[in-house]
Amino acid sequence: MFRTTLSELTRLQRKSFLLGWVGISALFVTMISTFTFKAAADGTTLPSSAPGVSFPTAAALVQPDGIVSGLGSAATLLGVVTLAFWAIATATDYSTGLVRLLVQAQPNRPRLLGGKILALTGWTAAVTTVVTIVAVALAPLMARATGISTSAWTTGIVGNVAGAWLNTFLALMVWGVIGLVIAVLTRSSAVAIAVGVGYVLVFEAVVRLASVRLADWLPGSTLNALAHGGTAAVAYGTAVALGLAYASFGLVTAAVTFKRRDILD
Amino acid sequence: MTVIQTTGLTRRFGALTAVDSLDLDIPTGGVIGLVGPNGAGKSTLIRMLLGLIRPSEGAATVLGESIVEPARFSDRVGALIESPAFVPALSARTNLVSLARLRGLPSARVDDVLDTVGLTGRDRDPVSTFSLGMKQRLGIAAALLPDPELLILDEPTNGLDPAGIVEIRQLLRALGDQGRTVIVSSHLLSEIEAACDHLVVIRFGKLIFAGPLADLLGKTSQYVDVAPEHAADAELLHGLLELQGWPLVAVGGVIRVDARIEDSPAINRAATAGGVTLRLLTAGQGTLEDVFLRITGDGDAELPHQQARQAGGMPSPGRVFADEKAGA
Repeated sequence: MFRTTLSELTRLQRKSFLLGWVGISALFVTMISTFTFKAAADGTTLPSSAPGVSFPTAAALVQPDGIVSGLGSAATLLGVVTLAFWAIATATDYSTGLVRLLVQAQPNRPRLLGGKILALTGWTAAVTTVVTIVAVALAPLMARATGISTSAWTTGIVGNVAGAWLNTFLALMVWGVIGLVIAVLTRSSAVAIAVGVGYVLVFEAVVRLASVRLADWLPGSTLNALAHGGTAAVAYGTAVALGLAYASFGLVTAAVTFKRRDILD
Repeated sequence: MTVIQTTGLTRRFGALTAVDSLDLDIPTGGVIGLVGPNGAGKSTLIRMLLGLIRPSEGAATVLGESIVEPARFSDRVGALIESPAFVPALSARTNLVSLARLRGLPSARVDDVLDTVGLTGRDRDPVSTFSLGMKQRLGIAAALLPDPELLILDEPTNGLDPAGIVEIRQLLRALGDQGRTVIVSSHLLSEIEAACDHLVVIRFGKLIFAGPLADLLGKTSQYVDVAPEHAADAELLHGLLELQGWPLVAVGGVIRVDARIEDSPAINRAATAGGVTLRLLTAGQGTLEDVFLRITGDGDAELPHQQARQAGGMPSPGRVFADEKAGA
Protein backbone atom coordinates (compact mmCIF):
# COMPACT_ATOMS: atom_id res chain seq x y z
CA MET A 1 0.00 0.00 0.00
CA PHE A 2 2.96 2.31 0.71
CA ARG A 3 4.11 2.15 -2.92
CA THR A 4 0.69 2.88 -4.34
CA THR A 5 0.17 5.78 -1.92
CA LEU A 6 3.56 7.28 -2.71
CA SER A 7 2.92 6.86 -6.42
CA GLU A 8 -0.49 8.55 -6.14
CA LEU A 9 0.96 11.41 -4.08
CA THR A 10 3.52 11.93 -6.83
CA ARG A 11 0.76 12.14 -9.45
CA LEU A 12 -1.21 14.56 -7.30
CA GLN A 13 1.64 17.10 -7.46
CA ARG A 14 -0.34 19.13 -9.97
CA LYS A 15 -0.27 22.79 -9.04
CA SER A 16 -3.60 23.54 -10.71
CA PHE A 17 -5.23 20.62 -8.91
CA LEU A 18 -3.89 21.27 -5.43
CA LEU A 19 -4.02 25.05 -5.55
CA GLY A 20 -7.50 24.81 -7.01
CA TRP A 21 -8.67 22.52 -4.21
CA VAL A 22 -7.09 24.58 -1.43
CA GLY A 23 -7.93 27.91 -3.03
CA ILE A 24 -11.60 27.20 -3.73
CA SER A 25 -12.06 25.71 -0.26
CA ALA A 26 -10.41 28.73 1.37
CA LEU A 27 -12.50 31.09 -0.75
CA PHE A 28 -15.74 29.34 0.17
CA VAL A 29 -14.97 29.23 3.88
CA THR A 30 -14.15 32.94 3.72
CA MET A 31 -17.41 33.73 1.98
CA ILE A 32 -19.53 31.53 4.23
CA SER A 33 -17.82 32.77 7.41
CA THR A 34 -18.43 36.34 6.36
CA PHE A 35 -22.06 35.59 5.58
CA THR A 36 -22.48 33.64 8.81
CA PHE A 37 -21.56 36.60 11.00
CA LYS A 38 -23.38 39.11 8.82
CA ALA A 39 -26.54 37.00 8.75
CA ALA A 40 -26.41 36.40 12.51
CA ALA A 41 -25.97 40.10 13.23
CA ASP A 42 -28.83 40.99 10.87
CA GLY A 43 -31.04 38.19 12.17
CA THR A 44 -31.35 36.69 8.69
CA THR A 45 -32.55 33.08 8.54
CA LEU A 46 -32.36 30.53 5.76
CA PRO A 47 -35.43 28.90 4.22
CA SER A 48 -36.26 25.56 5.82
CA SER A 49 -35.65 23.71 2.56
CA ALA A 50 -32.04 24.89 2.24
CA PRO A 51 -30.11 21.69 1.45
CA GLY A 52 -27.90 20.48 4.24
CA VAL A 53 -27.04 23.95 5.47
CA SER A 54 -27.59 25.60 8.80
CA PHE A 55 -26.36 28.93 10.07
CA PRO A 56 -25.95 29.82 13.74
CA THR A 57 -27.79 32.64 15.44
CA ALA A 58 -26.03 35.54 17.12
CA ALA A 59 -26.69 33.84 20.45
CA ALA A 60 -24.88 30.73 19.25
CA LEU A 61 -21.95 32.72 17.88
CA VAL A 62 -21.05 34.17 21.26
CA GLN A 63 -20.66 30.65 22.72
CA PRO A 64 -17.12 29.19 23.15
CA ASP A 65 -17.39 27.28 19.86
CA GLY A 66 -18.49 30.42 18.00
CA ILE A 67 -14.93 30.86 16.76
CA VAL A 68 -15.31 27.81 14.48
CA SER A 69 -18.92 28.38 13.47
CA GLY A 70 -17.93 29.53 9.99
CA LEU A 71 -16.30 26.18 9.38
CA GLY A 72 -19.45 24.27 10.25
CA SER A 73 -21.59 26.54 8.10
CA ALA A 74 -19.32 26.03 5.12
CA ALA A 75 -19.13 22.26 5.59
CA THR A 76 -21.63 21.32 2.87
CA LEU A 77 -20.02 23.61 0.31
CA LEU A 78 -16.58 22.34 1.29
CA GLY A 79 -17.99 18.83 0.99
CA VAL A 80 -19.11 19.45 -2.58
CA VAL A 81 -15.66 20.86 -3.41
CA THR A 82 -14.02 17.80 -1.85
CA LEU A 83 -16.37 15.50 -3.74
CA ALA A 84 -15.40 17.26 -6.97
CA PHE A 85 -11.64 16.99 -6.40
CA TRP A 86 -11.78 13.34 -5.32
CA ALA A 87 -13.86 12.67 -8.42
CA ILE A 88 -11.39 14.54 -10.65
CA ALA A 89 -8.41 12.68 -9.17
CA THR A 90 -10.17 9.37 -9.80
CA ALA A 91 -11.84 9.95 -13.15
CA THR A 92 -8.72 11.52 -14.69
CA ASP A 93 -7.09 8.10 -14.56
CA TYR A 94 -9.83 6.88 -16.87
CA SER A 95 -10.07 9.91 -19.15
CA THR A 96 -6.30 9.95 -19.79
CA GLY A 97 -6.09 6.16 -20.10
CA LEU A 98 -3.58 6.15 -17.26
CA VAL A 99 -5.58 3.44 -15.53
CA ARG A 100 -4.25 0.95 -18.13
CA LEU A 101 -0.70 1.70 -17.11
CA LEU A 102 -1.48 1.68 -13.39
CA VAL A 103 -3.35 -1.62 -13.37
CA GLN A 104 -0.69 -3.24 -15.52
CA ALA A 105 2.01 -2.06 -13.10
CA GLN A 106 -0.01 -2.95 -10.00
CA PRO A 107 -2.55 -5.69 -10.79
CA ASN A 108 -3.77 -5.74 -7.19
CA ARG A 109 -6.59 -3.31 -7.86
CA PRO A 110 -7.91 -2.89 -4.28
CA ARG A 111 -4.37 -1.98 -3.26
CA LEU A 112 -4.21 0.55 -6.10
CA LEU A 113 -7.51 2.08 -5.01
CA GLY A 114 -6.40 2.01 -1.36
CA GLY A 115 -3.27 3.97 -2.25
CA LYS A 116 -5.35 6.59 -4.00
CA ILE A 117 -7.70 6.89 -1.01
CA LEU A 118 -4.81 7.25 1.42
CA ALA A 119 -3.16 9.92 -0.73
CA LEU A 120 -6.42 11.85 -1.07
CA THR A 121 -7.02 11.45 2.65
CA GLY A 122 -3.71 13.18 3.29
CA TRP A 123 -4.68 16.09 1.07
CA THR A 124 -8.14 16.26 2.59
CA ALA A 125 -6.50 16.62 5.99
CA ALA A 126 -4.29 19.39 4.62
CA VAL A 127 -7.27 21.21 3.07
CA THR A 128 -9.20 20.83 6.34
CA THR A 129 -6.28 22.39 8.18
CA VAL A 130 -6.13 25.34 5.79
CA VAL A 131 -9.86 26.05 5.98
CA THR A 132 -9.78 25.71 9.77
CA ILE A 133 -6.99 28.28 9.95
CA VAL A 134 -8.90 30.60 7.61
CA ALA A 135 -12.14 30.24 9.60
CA VAL A 136 -10.42 30.76 12.95
CA ALA A 137 -8.42 33.74 11.67
CA LEU A 138 -11.46 35.35 10.10
CA ALA A 139 -13.86 34.85 13.02
CA PRO A 140 -12.49 37.59 15.36
CA LEU A 141 -12.35 40.06 12.48
CA MET A 142 -15.96 39.39 11.51
CA ALA A 143 -17.09 39.36 15.14
CA ARG A 144 -15.57 42.80 15.67
CA ALA A 145 -17.11 44.07 12.42
CA THR A 146 -20.59 42.80 13.33
CA GLY A 147 -20.45 43.56 17.04
CA ILE A 148 -20.60 39.99 18.26
CA SER A 149 -18.92 39.31 21.60
CA THR A 150 -15.87 37.04 21.58
CA SER A 151 -15.20 36.95 25.31
CA ALA A 152 -16.26 33.30 25.64
CA TRP A 153 -14.18 32.07 22.69
CA THR A 154 -11.00 31.60 24.69
CA THR A 155 -12.71 28.99 26.86
CA GLY A 156 -11.51 25.59 25.68
CA ILE A 157 -10.35 27.07 22.39
CA VAL A 158 -7.90 24.28 21.59
CA GLY A 159 -10.51 21.58 22.14
CA ASN A 160 -13.13 23.47 20.16
CA VAL A 161 -10.82 24.08 17.19
CA ALA A 162 -9.50 20.51 17.27
CA GLY A 163 -13.05 19.16 17.49
CA ALA A 164 -14.18 21.33 14.60
CA TRP A 165 -11.18 20.22 12.55
CA LEU A 166 -11.96 16.57 13.25
CA ASN A 167 -15.66 16.86 12.51
CA THR A 168 -15.03 18.80 9.31
CA PHE A 169 -12.37 16.32 8.26
CA LEU A 170 -14.69 13.35 8.85
CA ALA A 171 -17.49 15.00 6.92
CA LEU A 172 -15.17 15.90 4.03
CA MET A 173 -13.82 12.35 3.96
CA VAL A 174 -17.31 10.97 3.44
CA TRP A 175 -17.98 13.57 0.74
CA GLY A 176 -14.70 12.58 -0.89
CA VAL A 177 -15.59 8.90 -0.82
CA ILE A 178 -18.93 9.73 -2.45
CA GLY A 179 -17.03 11.55 -5.21
CA LEU A 180 -14.69 8.59 -5.60
CA VAL A 181 -17.56 6.12 -5.90
CA ILE A 182 -19.42 8.18 -8.49
CA ALA A 183 -16.18 8.63 -10.46
CA VAL A 184 -15.41 4.90 -10.39
CA LEU A 185 -18.95 4.11 -11.49
CA THR A 186 -19.17 6.76 -14.22
CA ARG A 187 -15.47 7.08 -15.12
CA SER A 188 -16.12 10.77 -15.75
CA SER A 189 -15.24 13.66 -13.48
CA ALA A 190 -17.79 15.92 -15.19
CA VAL A 191 -20.60 13.44 -14.60
CA ALA A 192 -19.44 12.79 -11.04
CA ILE A 193 -19.41 16.49 -10.19
CA ALA A 194 -22.77 17.06 -11.87
CA VAL A 195 -24.32 14.16 -9.97
CA GLY A 196 -22.81 15.31 -6.66
CA VAL A 197 -23.80 18.95 -6.98
CA GLY A 198 -27.19 18.09 -8.42
CA TYR A 199 -27.81 15.72 -5.56
CA VAL A 200 -27.00 18.26 -2.86
CA LEU A 201 -28.63 21.28 -4.45
CA VAL A 202 -31.66 19.65 -5.99
CA PHE A 203 -32.41 16.15 -4.80
CA GLU A 204 -32.04 16.64 -1.07
CA ALA A 205 -33.90 19.95 -1.26
CA VAL A 206 -36.79 18.25 -3.04
CA VAL A 207 -36.79 15.38 -0.56
CA ARG A 208 -36.73 17.90 2.29
CA LEU A 209 -39.82 19.60 0.89
CA ALA A 210 -41.56 16.22 0.75
CA SER A 211 -40.32 14.82 4.04
CA VAL A 212 -38.09 16.65 6.50
CA ARG A 213 -37.72 13.50 8.61
CA LEU A 214 -36.42 11.47 5.66
CA ALA A 215 -34.15 14.28 4.46
CA ASP A 216 -32.42 14.41 7.85
CA TRP A 217 -31.06 10.94 7.19
CA LEU A 218 -29.68 11.66 3.73
CA PRO A 219 -25.95 12.32 3.23
CA GLY A 220 -26.20 16.11 2.87
CA SER A 221 -27.98 16.62 6.19
CA THR A 222 -26.10 13.85 7.93
CA LEU A 223 -22.70 15.22 6.96
CA ASN A 224 -23.76 18.74 7.80
CA ALA A 225 -24.72 17.47 11.25
CA LEU A 226 -21.41 15.64 11.52
CA ALA A 227 -19.47 18.79 10.66
CA HIS A 228 -21.42 20.77 13.24
CA GLY A 229 -20.81 18.15 15.92
CA GLY A 230 -24.52 17.25 15.82
CA THR A 231 -27.69 19.25 15.23
CA ALA A 232 -31.14 19.36 16.75
CA ALA A 233 -32.38 17.01 14.03
CA VAL A 234 -29.45 14.58 13.91
CA ALA A 235 -27.44 13.77 17.03
CA TYR A 236 -23.65 13.64 16.75
CA GLY A 237 -23.50 9.90 17.41
CA THR A 238 -26.13 9.26 14.77
CA ALA A 239 -24.29 11.49 12.31
CA VAL A 240 -21.01 9.64 12.91
CA ALA A 241 -22.69 6.25 12.54
CA LEU A 242 -24.54 7.26 9.38
CA GLY A 243 -21.41 8.89 7.95
CA LEU A 244 -19.44 5.71 8.57
CA ALA A 245 -22.22 3.66 7.01
CA TYR A 246 -22.28 5.85 3.90
CA ALA A 247 -18.48 5.75 3.65
CA SER A 248 -18.31 1.98 4.16
CA PHE A 249 -20.98 1.33 1.59
CA GLY A 250 -19.23 3.66 -0.83
CA LEU A 251 -15.81 2.10 -0.31
CA VAL A 252 -17.12 -1.44 -0.78
CA THR A 253 -19.01 -0.39 -3.92
CA ALA A 254 -15.93 1.34 -5.36
CA ALA A 255 -13.59 -1.53 -4.49
CA VAL A 256 -15.85 -4.24 -5.92
CA THR A 257 -16.53 -2.24 -9.08
CA PHE A 258 -12.88 -1.37 -9.63
CA LYS A 259 -11.75 -4.94 -8.96
CA ARG A 260 -14.26 -6.63 -11.23
CA ARG A 261 -14.69 -4.24 -14.11
CA ASP A 262 -12.72 -4.61 -17.33
CA ILE A 263 -10.28 -1.82 -18.11
CA LEU A 264 -11.44 -0.71 -21.54
CA ASP A 265 -10.47 2.97 -21.30
CA MET B 1 9.92 -22.39 -24.55
CA THR B 2 6.92 -20.13 -25.04
CA VAL B 3 6.50 -16.68 -23.60
CA ILE B 4 2.78 -16.58 -24.28
CA GLN B 5 0.44 -19.52 -24.66
CA THR B 6 -3.29 -19.32 -25.18
CA THR B 7 -5.77 -22.16 -25.34
CA GLY B 8 -9.25 -21.49 -26.67
CA LEU B 9 -8.96 -17.91 -25.48
CA THR B 10 -12.23 -16.14 -26.13
CA ARG B 11 -13.65 -12.77 -25.27
CA ARG B 12 -17.15 -11.69 -26.07
CA PHE B 13 -18.70 -8.26 -25.72
CA GLY B 14 -22.40 -8.99 -25.89
CA ALA B 15 -23.09 -10.48 -29.32
CA LEU B 16 -19.65 -9.56 -30.59
CA THR B 17 -16.81 -12.05 -30.29
CA ALA B 18 -13.64 -9.98 -30.24
CA VAL B 19 -11.26 -12.90 -29.67
CA ASP B 20 -12.53 -16.26 -30.83
CA SER B 21 -11.07 -19.54 -29.47
CA LEU B 22 -7.51 -18.39 -30.00
CA ASP B 23 -4.81 -21.04 -29.70
CA LEU B 24 -1.43 -19.41 -29.82
CA ASP B 25 2.16 -20.13 -28.85
CA ILE B 26 4.64 -17.30 -29.01
CA PRO B 27 8.27 -18.34 -28.67
CA THR B 28 10.64 -16.69 -26.26
CA GLY B 29 13.07 -14.10 -27.61
CA GLY B 30 13.13 -11.87 -30.65
CA VAL B 31 10.71 -9.36 -32.07
CA ILE B 32 7.24 -10.62 -32.88
CA GLY B 33 4.73 -8.70 -34.94
CA LEU B 34 1.04 -8.82 -34.07
CA VAL B 35 -0.99 -7.64 -37.02
CA GLY B 36 -4.58 -7.63 -38.12
CA PRO B 37 -7.12 -5.19 -39.52
CA ASN B 38 -8.88 -2.68 -37.29
CA GLY B 39 -11.23 -4.56 -35.00
CA ALA B 40 -9.36 -7.85 -35.47
CA GLY B 41 -9.04 -8.31 -31.73
CA LYS B 42 -5.41 -7.30 -31.19
CA SER B 43 -6.06 -4.84 -28.40
CA THR B 44 -8.53 -7.16 -26.70
CA LEU B 45 -5.95 -9.95 -26.85
CA ILE B 46 -3.25 -7.70 -25.38
CA ARG B 47 -5.55 -6.46 -22.63
CA MET B 48 -6.46 -10.02 -21.69
CA LEU B 49 -2.80 -11.03 -21.57
CA LEU B 50 -2.05 -8.09 -19.26
CA GLY B 51 -4.96 -8.78 -16.93
CA LEU B 52 -6.90 -5.65 -17.84
CA ILE B 53 -9.90 -7.60 -19.06
CA ARG B 54 -11.04 -11.11 -18.29
CA PRO B 55 -11.52 -13.81 -20.89
CA SER B 56 -15.01 -15.19 -21.46
CA GLU B 57 -13.56 -18.64 -22.06
CA GLY B 58 -10.24 -20.36 -22.41
CA ALA B 59 -6.93 -19.90 -20.67
CA ALA B 60 -3.59 -18.28 -21.24
CA THR B 61 -0.19 -18.01 -19.67
CA VAL B 62 2.34 -15.20 -19.79
CA LEU B 63 5.92 -16.12 -18.88
CA GLY B 64 4.51 -19.40 -17.62
CA GLU B 65 1.99 -17.79 -15.25
CA SER B 66 -1.76 -17.77 -15.68
CA ILE B 67 -3.28 -14.49 -16.77
CA VAL B 68 -5.82 -14.97 -13.98
CA GLU B 69 -3.06 -13.84 -11.60
CA PRO B 70 -1.24 -11.02 -13.41
CA ALA B 71 0.58 -10.03 -10.21
CA ARG B 72 2.75 -13.11 -10.75
CA PHE B 73 4.25 -11.73 -13.96
CA SER B 74 3.60 -7.97 -13.96
CA ASP B 75 7.09 -7.20 -12.61
CA ARG B 76 8.58 -8.90 -15.67
CA VAL B 77 6.33 -7.35 -18.29
CA GLY B 78 6.30 -3.84 -19.72
CA ALA B 79 3.59 -2.57 -22.02
CA LEU B 80 2.48 0.36 -24.09
CA ILE B 81 -1.21 -0.18 -24.67
CA GLU B 82 -2.80 1.88 -27.43
CA SER B 83 -1.92 5.56 -26.99
CA PRO B 84 0.56 6.60 -24.30
CA ALA B 85 -1.27 7.78 -21.17
CA PHE B 86 0.20 10.22 -18.69
CA VAL B 87 -0.79 13.11 -16.44
CA PRO B 88 -0.43 16.02 -18.89
CA ALA B 89 0.35 18.67 -16.27
CA LEU B 90 3.27 16.73 -14.83
CA SER B 91 6.74 16.46 -16.31
CA ALA B 92 7.92 13.35 -18.10
CA ARG B 93 10.24 12.62 -15.22
CA THR B 94 7.55 12.98 -12.54
CA ASN B 95 5.23 10.73 -14.50
CA LEU B 96 7.92 8.07 -14.73
CA VAL B 97 8.90 8.52 -11.07
CA SER B 98 5.29 7.87 -10.05
CA LEU B 99 5.27 4.66 -12.10
CA ALA B 100 8.68 3.64 -10.75
CA ARG B 101 7.39 4.14 -7.20
CA LEU B 102 4.31 2.08 -8.01
CA ARG B 103 6.58 -0.75 -9.11
CA GLY B 104 9.01 -0.26 -6.21
CA LEU B 105 11.86 0.67 -8.55
CA PRO B 106 14.69 3.10 -7.74
CA SER B 107 14.55 6.58 -9.31
CA ALA B 108 17.84 5.85 -11.09
CA ARG B 109 15.88 3.55 -13.36
CA VAL B 110 13.99 6.60 -14.64
CA ASP B 111 17.25 8.15 -15.85
CA ASP B 112 18.15 4.92 -17.63
CA VAL B 113 14.92 4.68 -19.60
CA LEU B 114 14.83 8.42 -20.39
CA ASP B 115 18.30 8.05 -21.83
CA THR B 116 17.30 4.93 -23.77
CA VAL B 117 14.42 6.67 -25.56
CA GLY B 118 16.28 9.96 -26.05
CA LEU B 119 14.19 12.19 -23.80
CA THR B 120 16.85 13.19 -21.31
CA GLY B 121 16.90 16.86 -22.34
CA ARG B 122 13.12 17.29 -22.17
CA ASP B 123 12.41 15.21 -19.07
CA ARG B 124 11.44 18.21 -16.90
CA ASP B 125 8.96 19.62 -19.40
CA PRO B 126 5.24 19.01 -18.87
CA VAL B 127 3.90 16.13 -20.95
CA SER B 128 1.21 18.52 -22.25
CA THR B 129 3.93 20.28 -24.29
CA PHE B 130 5.08 17.03 -25.91
CA SER B 131 4.45 16.10 -29.52
CA LEU B 132 2.78 12.77 -30.25
CA GLY B 133 6.16 11.29 -31.09
CA MET B 134 7.64 12.41 -27.78
CA LYS B 135 4.68 11.00 -25.90
CA GLN B 136 5.26 7.77 -27.77
CA ARG B 137 8.88 7.71 -26.63
CA LEU B 138 7.72 8.38 -23.08
CA GLY B 139 5.26 5.50 -23.37
CA ILE B 140 8.08 3.20 -24.45
CA ALA B 141 10.18 4.50 -21.56
CA ALA B 142 7.38 3.61 -19.14
CA ALA B 143 7.18 0.14 -20.64
CA LEU B 144 10.94 -0.30 -20.23
CA LEU B 145 10.92 0.75 -16.55
CA PRO B 146 10.74 -2.75 -15.06
CA ASP B 147 13.57 -3.94 -17.36
CA PRO B 148 11.05 -6.44 -18.73
CA GLU B 149 11.56 -9.92 -20.09
CA LEU B 150 8.45 -9.38 -22.18
CA LEU B 151 7.69 -6.06 -23.81
CA ILE B 152 4.32 -5.51 -25.47
CA LEU B 153 4.08 -2.37 -27.57
CA ASP B 154 0.93 -1.27 -29.36
CA GLU B 155 1.78 1.00 -32.32
CA PRO B 156 5.17 2.08 -30.89
CA THR B 157 6.15 4.18 -33.91
CA ASN B 158 2.87 6.05 -34.12
CA GLY B 159 3.56 9.78 -34.53
CA LEU B 160 7.32 9.39 -34.89
CA ASP B 161 9.24 11.04 -37.71
CA PRO B 162 11.24 8.80 -40.10
CA ALA B 163 14.43 9.16 -38.06
CA GLY B 164 12.50 8.33 -34.90
CA ILE B 165 10.96 5.28 -36.54
CA VAL B 166 14.38 3.95 -37.50
CA GLU B 167 15.66 4.69 -33.99
CA ILE B 168 12.80 2.83 -32.32
CA ARG B 169 13.15 -0.05 -34.77
CA GLN B 170 16.83 -0.35 -33.84
CA LEU B 171 15.91 -0.19 -30.16
CA LEU B 172 13.36 -2.99 -30.57
CA ARG B 173 15.85 -5.09 -32.50
CA ALA B 174 18.47 -4.51 -29.82
CA LEU B 175 16.01 -5.52 -27.10
CA GLY B 176 15.07 -8.62 -29.06
CA ASP B 177 18.71 -9.50 -29.61
CA GLN B 178 19.29 -9.26 -25.84
CA GLY B 179 17.05 -12.28 -25.40
CA ARG B 180 13.91 -10.38 -24.47
CA THR B 181 10.66 -10.96 -26.23
CA VAL B 182 9.22 -7.88 -27.87
CA ILE B 183 5.69 -8.07 -29.22
CA VAL B 184 4.85 -5.21 -31.54
CA SER B 185 1.33 -4.53 -32.67
CA SER B 186 1.36 -2.18 -35.63
CA HIS B 187 -0.45 -1.09 -38.74
CA LEU B 188 2.84 -0.09 -40.37
CA LEU B 189 3.51 -3.37 -42.12
CA SER B 190 6.78 -2.11 -43.59
CA GLU B 191 7.95 -1.58 -40.02
CA ILE B 192 6.80 -5.04 -38.98
CA GLU B 193 8.60 -6.48 -41.98
CA ALA B 194 11.78 -4.58 -41.12
CA ALA B 195 11.80 -5.28 -37.38
CA CYS B 196 10.18 -8.63 -36.73
CA ASP B 197 11.35 -12.23 -36.72
CA HIS B 198 7.96 -13.82 -36.18
CA LEU B 199 4.48 -12.81 -37.09
CA VAL B 200 1.05 -13.40 -35.63
CA VAL B 201 -1.87 -12.46 -37.86
CA ILE B 202 -5.40 -12.38 -36.51
CA ARG B 203 -8.70 -11.42 -38.05
CA PHE B 204 -12.15 -11.50 -36.49
CA GLY B 205 -10.39 -12.66 -33.35
CA LYS B 206 -9.15 -15.84 -34.99
CA LEU B 207 -5.59 -16.85 -35.69
CA ILE B 208 -4.75 -16.73 -39.38
CA PHE B 209 -1.01 -17.19 -39.23
CA ALA B 210 1.66 -17.62 -36.61
CA GLY B 211 5.25 -18.36 -37.44
CA PRO B 212 8.49 -17.00 -38.83
CA LEU B 213 8.05 -13.99 -41.05
CA ALA B 214 10.24 -15.64 -43.69
CA ASP B 215 7.75 -18.50 -43.98
CA LEU B 216 4.94 -16.12 -44.72
CA LEU B 217 6.89 -14.08 -47.23
CA GLY B 218 8.71 -16.99 -48.87
CA LYS B 219 5.92 -19.48 -49.28
CA THR B 220 2.84 -17.49 -49.86
CA SER B 221 3.54 -14.17 -51.40
CA GLN B 222 5.01 -15.06 -54.78
CA TYR B 223 3.00 -14.18 -57.87
CA VAL B 224 3.17 -14.08 -61.63
CA ASP B 225 1.66 -11.18 -63.59
CA VAL B 226 0.50 -11.94 -67.12
CA ALA B 227 -1.24 -9.96 -69.85
CA PRO B 228 -2.36 -11.07 -73.35
CA GLU B 229 -0.99 -9.45 -76.46
CA HIS B 230 -4.53 -8.53 -77.47
CA ALA B 231 -6.87 -7.09 -74.86
CA ALA B 232 -9.76 -9.07 -76.32
CA ASP B 233 -8.05 -12.30 -75.20
CA ALA B 234 -8.09 -11.31 -71.54
CA GLU B 235 -11.24 -13.25 -70.73
CA LEU B 236 -9.95 -16.34 -72.58
CA LEU B 237 -6.63 -16.17 -70.75
CA HIS B 238 -8.42 -15.79 -67.46
CA GLY B 239 -10.43 -18.93 -68.16
CA LEU B 240 -7.39 -20.93 -69.31
CA LEU B 241 -5.43 -20.16 -66.15
CA GLU B 242 -8.42 -20.75 -63.93
CA LEU B 243 -8.76 -24.22 -65.48
CA GLN B 244 -5.24 -24.99 -64.26
CA GLY B 245 -6.39 -24.30 -60.73
CA TRP B 246 -4.37 -21.20 -60.00
CA PRO B 247 -6.09 -18.55 -57.88
CA LEU B 248 -5.99 -15.30 -59.81
CA VAL B 249 -7.29 -11.82 -59.88
CA ALA B 250 -7.56 -9.31 -62.72
CA VAL B 251 -6.19 -5.87 -61.94
CA GLY B 252 -6.62 -3.43 -64.82
CA GLY B 253 -5.26 -5.14 -67.93
CA VAL B 254 -3.08 -7.52 -65.95
CA ILE B 255 -3.95 -10.87 -64.45
CA ARG B 256 -2.12 -11.60 -61.22
CA VAL B 257 -1.71 -15.34 -60.74
CA ASP B 258 -1.16 -16.59 -57.22
CA ALA B 259 1.67 -18.93 -58.14
CA ARG B 260 5.28 -19.58 -57.36
CA ILE B 261 7.99 -18.07 -59.52
CA GLU B 262 8.86 -21.59 -60.73
CA ASP B 263 5.35 -21.87 -62.19
CA SER B 264 6.04 -19.14 -64.77
CA PRO B 265 6.91 -21.59 -67.61
CA ALA B 266 3.78 -23.64 -66.93
CA ILE B 267 1.65 -20.49 -67.07
CA ASN B 268 3.27 -19.51 -70.35
CA ARG B 269 2.66 -22.99 -71.78
CA ALA B 270 -0.98 -22.96 -70.69
CA ALA B 271 -1.58 -19.64 -72.41
CA THR B 272 0.19 -20.64 -75.58
CA ALA B 273 -1.64 -24.00 -75.70
CA GLY B 274 -4.92 -22.08 -75.51
CA GLY B 275 -3.90 -19.83 -78.39
CA VAL B 276 -3.10 -16.76 -76.36
CA THR B 277 0.17 -14.93 -76.86
CA LEU B 278 1.46 -13.12 -73.82
CA ARG B 279 2.83 -9.59 -73.99
CA LEU B 280 3.70 -9.65 -70.29
CA LEU B 281 4.93 -12.37 -67.97
CA THR B 282 6.56 -11.12 -64.80
CA ALA B 283 7.25 -13.08 -61.65
CA GLY B 284 7.57 -11.30 -58.35
CA GLN B 285 7.44 -11.57 -54.64
CA GLY B 286 4.87 -9.65 -52.65
CA THR B 287 5.57 -7.53 -49.65
CA LEU B 288 4.10 -8.23 -46.26
CA GLU B 289 1.45 -5.68 -47.13
CA ASP B 290 0.39 -7.70 -50.18
CA VAL B 291 0.19 -10.88 -48.14
CA PHE B 292 -1.60 -9.13 -45.33
CA LEU B 293 -4.24 -7.66 -47.60
CA ARG B 294 -4.77 -11.00 -49.29
CA ILE B 295 -5.15 -13.04 -46.16
CA THR B 296 -7.15 -10.53 -44.18
CA GLY B 297 -9.19 -8.96 -46.97
CA ASP B 298 -8.80 -5.35 -47.99
CA GLY B 299 -11.11 -3.72 -45.50
CA ASP B 300 -11.39 -3.13 -41.82
CA ALA B 301 -12.89 -5.81 -39.66
CA GLU B 302 -15.23 -3.35 -38.05
CA LEU B 303 -18.52 -4.24 -36.51
CA PRO B 304 -20.79 -4.71 -39.54
CA HIS B 305 -18.36 -7.15 -41.17
CA GLN B 306 -17.84 -8.94 -37.94
CA GLN B 307 -21.54 -9.30 -37.34
CA ALA B 308 -22.13 -10.43 -40.91
CA ARG B 309 -19.46 -13.07 -40.62
CA GLN B 310 -20.73 -14.27 -37.27
CA ALA B 311 -24.14 -14.62 -38.84
CA GLY B 312 -22.53 -16.92 -41.43
CA GLY B 313 -22.87 -14.51 -44.34
CA MET B 314 -19.25 -13.75 -45.11
CA PRO B 315 -16.38 -16.06 -46.03
CA SER B 316 -13.11 -15.68 -44.20
CA PRO B 317 -10.20 -14.97 -46.57
CA GLY B 318 -7.96 -16.24 -43.84
CA ARG B 319 -9.44 -19.72 -44.14
CA VAL B 320 -8.43 -19.82 -47.82
CA PHE B 321 -4.93 -18.85 -46.85
CA ALA B 322 -4.76 -21.31 -44.02
CA ASP B 323 -5.90 -24.14 -46.31
CA GLU B 324 -3.29 -23.18 -48.90
CA LYS B 325 -0.64 -23.14 -46.24
CA ALA B 326 -1.66 -26.49 -44.91
CA GLY B 327 -1.40 -27.92 -48.39
CA ALA B 328 1.92 -26.30 -49.20
